[in-house]
Amino acid sequence: MAEGHTQVIAATPVREVDRDAAEGLAATPAIDARDLTKRYGKVEAVRGIKLEVRPREIFGLIGPDGAGKTSTFQILAGVMEATSGVANIFGSPAREMRSQTGYLTQSFSLYPDLTVAENIRYCGDLRRISPQQIVARGQQYLRMFDMDRFADRLAGKLSGGMRQKLSLICALVPQPRILLLDEPTTGVDPVSRREFWDALAHLSADGLTILVATPYLDEAERCHRIAFMHQGQILQIGSSTELCASLNAKRIELRTPDLRKTESILASHSGPDDDILDVQRFGDRLDLLVRDPDQAQQQVTEELTRAGVSIEEMHVDQPTLENTFVARLRALGQDLHSSEFPSRHNHSSLRGQIAIDAKSLLKDFDGFTAVKNVSLQIRNGEVYGLLGANGAGKTTTIRMLCGLLEPTGGSMELAGATGNLRSEAVRKRIGYMSQKFSLYDDLSIRQNLDFFAGVYGVPDAEREEKIRWVLSFSGLEGKQDQLTGSLPGGWKQRVAFGAAILHEPDILFLDEPTSGVDPLARRAFWTMINRLADTGAAILVTTHYLEEAEQCNRLGMMVAGELVAEGTPSGIKSRQTGHLLQLIVDQPQRAVDLLKHTTEGWRVSLFGERLHLITEDAPEIAIQQTTQQLEAAGLRVFSAREDRFSLEDVFISIVEKARLEGKVSLEK
Amino acid sequence: MRRILAQSRKELTQIVRDWRTLALALALPLVMLLLMSAALSLTVYDLPIIVQDFDGSSASNHFIDVFRASITFHVIAWPVDKPAEAALASNAARAVLIIPPHFGRDQASGVNSPVQLIVDASDANTAKLVSGDALQIANAYNQQIAAPAPVQAAFRLWFNPGLSSKKFYGPGVFVLALSMFPPLLAGLAMARESEQKTILQVYVSSISAHEFLLGKIFAFMVVALGEAVVMSAFLFTYFGLTFAGDPTPVFVATILYTFCVASFGTMIGVKIPNQTAAMQVVALGGFLLVFLLSGLMFPVQNIPIGLRWISNFVWGRYFIEIVRDALLQGGGWPAVWYKVIFIGIIGSIFYLLAWNGMRKMQVKS
Amino acid sequence: MTLTGLFRHLFSYRMRALVKKEFNQIRRDRRLQISLVLPPILQLTLFGFALSSNVSDLRLAVVDDNRTPESRELISTLTESKSFRLAGYYASVDQLGDAVSRGDADAGLVVPYDYARDLARQRPTTVQLLLNATNANTATISRAYAQGVLQSYNVNLRQNGIHLQVQPTVAPNLARRGQIQLQPAFLFNPGLVDSWFIVTGVLGLLLILNSTMVASASMVREREAGTIEQLLMSPASTTEIIVAKIAPLFFLLSLMMLAAIAVLRLVFSVPFRGSLLLLICAGCLCILSGISIGTVIATFSRSAQQAQLTSFFLNPPLASLSGALNPIEAMPKWLQPLTVLNPVHHFAAIVRGTMLKGGGFADVWPNFLGLFLFTLVLVSLSVRRFRKQLS
Repeated sequence: MAEGHTQVIAATPVREVDRDAAEGLAATPAIDARDLTKRYGKVEAVRGIKLEVRPREIFGLIGPDGAGKTSTFQILAGVMEATSGVANIFGSPAREMRSQTGYLTQSFSLYPDLTVAENIRYCGDLRRISPQQIVARGQQYLRMFDMDRFADRLAGKLSGGMRQKLSLICALVPQPRILLLDEPTTGVDPVSRREFWDALAHLSADGLTILVATPYLDEAERCHRIAFMHQGQILQIGSSTELCASLNAKRIELRTPDLRKTESILASHSGPDDDILDVQRFGDRLDLLVRDPDQAQQQVTEELTRAGVSIEEMHVDQPTLENTFVARLRALGQDLHSSEFPSRHNHSSLRGQIAIDAKSLLKDFDGFTAVKNVSLQIRNGEVYGLLGANGAGKTTTIRMLCGLLEPTGGSMELAGATGNLRSEAVRKRIGYMSQKFSLYDDLSIRQNLDFFAGVYGVPDAEREEKIRWVLSFSGLEGKQDQLTGSLPGGWKQRVAFGAAILHEPDILFLDEPTSGVDPLARRAFWTMINRLADTGAAILVTTHYLEEAEQCNRLGMMVAGELVAEGTPSGIKSRQTGHLLQLIVDQPQRAVDLLKHTTEGWRVSLFGERLHLITEDAPEIAIQQTTQQLEAAGLRVFSAREDRFSLEDVFISIVEKARLEGKVSLEK
Repeated sequence: MRRILAQSRKELTQIVRDWRTLALALALPLVMLLLMSAALSLTVYDLPIIVQDFDGSSASNHFIDVFRASITFHVIAWPVDKPAEAALASNAARAVLIIPPHFGRDQASGVNSPVQLIVDASDANTAKLVSGDALQIANAYNQQIAAPAPVQAAFRLWFNPGLSSKKFYGPGVFVLALSMFPPLLAGLAMARESEQKTILQVYVSSISAHEFLLGKIFAFMVVALGEAVVMSAFLFTYFGLTFAGDPTPVFVATILYTFCVASFGTMIGVKIPNQTAAMQVVALGGFLLVFLLSGLMFPVQNIPIGLRWISNFVWGRYFIEIVRDALLQGGGWPAVWYKVIFIGIIGSIFYLLAWNGMRKMQVKS
Repeated sequence: MTLTGLFRHLFSYRMRALVKKEFNQIRRDRRLQISLVLPPILQLTLFGFALSSNVSDLRLAVVDDNRTPESRELISTLTESKSFRLAGYYASVDQLGDAVSRGDADAGLVVPYDYARDLARQRPTTVQLLLNATNANTATISRAYAQGVLQSYNVNLRQNGIHLQVQPTVAPNLARRGQIQLQPAFLFNPGLVDSWFIVTGVLGLLLILNSTMVASASMVREREAGTIEQLLMSPASTTEIIVAKIAPLFFLLSLMMLAAIAVLRLVFSVPFRGSLLLLICAGCLCILSGISIGTVIATFSRSAQQAQLTSFFLNPPLASLSGALNPIEAMPKWLQPLTVLNPVHHFAAIVRGTMLKGGGFADVWPNFLGLFLFTLVLVSLSVRRFRKQLS
């Protein structure tokens, strides 16, 4: 794999767009939108935005669900007419410049019944690229994305990550000057996402202008500039640093043995007028946004000592983009802090009982083993996170665990039942939220909730109150008669989550509940998940956001159908060998490329502007060597220190190691 | 031109990839030809008939024998004491022949004897045929026993002397199948582009609506032509049909017709970006109109005037007439030239409607 | 399951929620509503009006080699009947043939040059009638018409003579025997209305096909949207899910059936001679078997589009092997037994038996039994398939 990545750089195609030409045009912005509005009937999706993207820039568009990002993209791609305003690409109307733009949508706009090569061919043909060039460039990019083995595979049979890479290749073959990427990595696993962004960095370095929307804010940090969009308007534009600085706050990273308790104590002392502006749970730590770090540290120490909570670690840093985003949305009143869930049942008597007990589960699909030898136990009161790349077998495992799918081998016990997992009594106790949207698109939100309440037999007396709670939890009060299908994905997920817990199940299966949900809502989800676990429910959850996974009591990591690591988040991290170095340099992407020359690819990764390097050497020596290496190449190293492993580092190294060993392939 | 070909190639690749549907689309017309042309025939044989002979003379027996010998009827037994209508009500027989008492005596004495034929007319067409056949039998019998009538008619049946329904329905079903499957596939393919959002891919490129549509239509013309070839092979062998005259009109018309139906399907797919709904409309349009209003089963003149004008716009009608002419009547260009033109006009209208829907090549808001 | 158990199921809160959900979905689905009302009515009306075997106004091309008052009288007798009208005179049989193949005429009459002379001499004479037999049915019927016209012409000749100059033989022919006068009576439909047969046949076809389409679409939709998994994880039992899916469809399709029956009665004035209850029972069986076919198709299909395509492909064989549009006796012998397996055939027999013929259960019980057995087999098959798919 290391060689593979080395080749990636070597194979980076020399783009035919002339750099000089691109720079000559530098005076004209690559994208220029002024007073852009878009109205659908009465709804104003885009309300007069002004946006200028410079050539060769990676420009990020972030914003909560339903902010108007997709409409903006469609107008800039020239596939939809704006209601009013100007949308220019390199000085000409977007519609006329379609030959210069590549557009990737949220849903894969590939033909699932055509092969990879045929998809590429068709895209090239549409734009009058000569057949020889299509083949040449197609092969070049396929090699670059490590997909050349799959040229003859049907696009419909690729995993999500691969499909997005193929979409990108299709968009690249005509050699556009601008790429418009509308949430290209939603639902894509961290490993594939990382590869995708590495590719984007290379493309931008080669002269491509990229406008990208993403719900992942660590990705957004890799953009040169970011626009923060909200309710059809752009509230702020600037670099990640600028946006973070605009908060006028510092961040305190705080680690304690009982984060939840800490959070509730500190949250009661925070607010726009307090010294502690905001408390945000972030993986295995709390991020406090504070005005005066010294004063705040003192206050925190006092409060926690009084409550008897010890402080493991506390240090001051700059706020991250996600901190900023969450704080801003909270300031805008977008928080989903809803009323207390009107709980009527307490499962605390069940606490500690084994809810799910799977032994050596095996699943064969026509000769393909999707899941092998998976054993896991989940107790009531526990949140268990199942992690894995796309196609690792998580969903199949969940479906076996909840009794939807008969395992080929192994034994299952669910809610005390061993034989018939599908009995009414068992299912009454289970809540389930599948990966696909599990609501009826053709019913109104209210009708959906009524239905799920009815089918689970939620008593009439509780029903009204609970449904009202779901609506307030989803931030959809007063919109209950809206058609569910018309909601943006993130909102649907909120309603679906609410519907799954209406009947207060004591066993809850959540398959990627937060996929496509904005950071603020994701936090509300997790608050709720934790609260449910506190009442004694056993919860199994999958996610691609690994910082969320830190909130699980226990984790299982799956690679190619096998459970390769299991334990508490800290346990899993402590088992990781080697040391993690965090470097901050002036040209992070170049640094990554350089380091990947000399070490295995999986050891180097970029988190926003921070570069992570996993090394087996002693940290001091490694820091010295690396700094020397980078400075020799003309880069400036601002800081280099050893840091704790994040779950994402561990996950990537586990998956990549498994891939290196070659015993598994990520693809079916 | 290159983009048109690229579009066609992509469509054809997709069609071939979904080989199950393609196989159905090629095999089903053959099944339809085989089944419908045989099963939709209106000419009855061996129709169960009850004879109630209240005379029982040798004359009446003789008369009944004539019925027994007919291929139309099949005389079945029925108790004399049971009302004959009951047999018709319970579907035991379709007609009753009642021979009155004194039949033989009257005949011998030169008195005309009324014989009653009660026909189950719930099926009016069959009732007409049956009474016609019975009349003919009675006529022949009269000729045999009595003096011949002064004016006799010698019937000559042209173009289809064997009165084979197969030869009549074969060309009709050929057209019906061509009007059903290719537009169905075309409509589905077009609606799928919108449903799966792949149309965005097309919008982002600068391909024009003409190039896009022509590419699609061309691909489905190929499918339709393939279907036509397979079915013609069947018509020429199993149905024993041959060209009755100049085959060039039908060749030209077939190509125009495949354009017409492919455009029809594509047009529906453009207008209704939902696969299921598009399919229902194509089914209604393709099947119902062509089946009912094109003269496939009964002549167009039989349709009440309130509906008949619609058939002037039914593309299948003209093609059925052209195919029948080529295979049965042989009238050639003088007989059908304007029908060929009509097909072209209707096809162009479909195409223009499709183009009108796609013209902007943009997402509709 | 015991009966009380079944009832408990049927009226449980879950059942209410499930059924309500289905109704809500249907209420939202404008397209389904339209497709439940419009196509059936449209199809019934179109089929009823468009498929008519009446032969009228056949264009008769004439070659008159005789050109006498007698020949002209024969020609006018033919062209004044409802069946034929004069298309024109032609000089030769060849020209007449051209006219027919060009489509300018549908039939031809050739009167021989010695026609009047033969008549005068009391010699039988033969005129030629040329019919375009492309359409065998039309040819057969028009032949019968022509024959009927000629027959009455002959009777007139015999009784009145043709003209004064023709001397009819008055001498009694002792050898003459009595002629048979066949008097056809058309039972059940004396006016020979074509549409009665067609619409009573198409009714069953409509019920089955629409039930199939609607059911397959509704069954697949749930699976395609991924919501079936959510449903399966709920405490609702498979029986409840199946009943809740079928019941609203059944209800709506029954309404459609009543509407269709009303069309039969009001638009086509189909007489109503037998038991309405029997008819409705049979209709319900039809709907049930249609829904079952749809469910089975849905379980085999991967997408809604595939399910619809398959149900659509059912159309031609189901229609052509039913005797709904044409008499079964007109089918080839080897195909006739297959109609026993076709619910449309049984239903058509029941509809005609009750509506047109006024028969009761005693008359149609074999068809009723056939339909019942068919429905029973289909329903159990579909429930089996559906259950299997659910688990």
